[in-house]
Amino acid sequence: MKLTFKQYNIIRIIIVLVLSMTIGSMMAVKNFFVPMILVALSTVVLMYLRKQVKGVLADERDYALGGKAALLAIQVWSWCAVVVMFVLLAFTDKNPVYEPIALTLSFSVCLLMLLYSAIYRYYNKIDFKDKKFIFTALVLAFFLAIFLIAGVRSFSGEDNWICDNGQWVKHGNPSFSAPEAECK
Amino acid sequence: MKNKIKELRTKMNITQEELAEKAGVRRETIVFLEQDKYNPSLKLAHDVAEALKTTIDKLFIF
Repeated sequence: MKLTFKQYNIIRIIIVLVLSMTIGSMMAVKNFFVPMILVALSTVVLMYLRKQVKGVLADERDYALGGKAALLAIQVWSWCAVVVMFVLLAFTDKNPVYEPIALTLSFSVCLLMLLYSAIYRYYNKIDFKDKKFIFTALVLAFFLAIFLIAGVRSFSGEDNWICDNGQWVKHGNPSFSAPEAECK
Repeated sequence: MKNKIKELRTKMNITQEELAEKAGVRRETIVFLEQDKYNPSLKLAHDVAEALKTTIDKLFIF
């Protein structure tokens, strides 16, 4: 079976549409197993179809545009995430739930930047025996470890306010005051 | 950077699709090249020049 680029694109759009609808309806009934299987299955099908396309699917112009678009997307996401993070952190006294959301956003930005730097250096064919590179990698690994430890500590829910019989009760030693929101 | 891709392609009587196939790129890239909206890599410039039976310096005007 040989496909043209246009046929491949049409099939891809149909698969994505069906997948989105199925995942949406499955999530609504809290079924997470079927979406996972479907995503894996559709990835395999798309990879197979991609190999059946005669002609060029992507060339140097596509890769150049893709690189520019990816860089801009990273910058836009990073700025938005940082701004939202500060806004959420400013309102953590109103609702402590904002704190883990803000931390998740900040960690995602850190991880994205680390990944970008690592992949960039890989493509730039850096000398991995270079002392400066090893030093930078160690410093980054140190900060990543701190972020991860802080993240695990934050998300563990050890120090938080819990709603118990209509009253906010301390769980552990939260660093913030009890939420002003009504405890139901 | 100007080029003579369209001129030479018309002389050779080949379509954009055929040139794209010979150069190993998508047709859209040939369209952008002909409209001087894309600066190709050295490899692509060489492949297009080869497909049009000419040389880079004759195909592209620097």
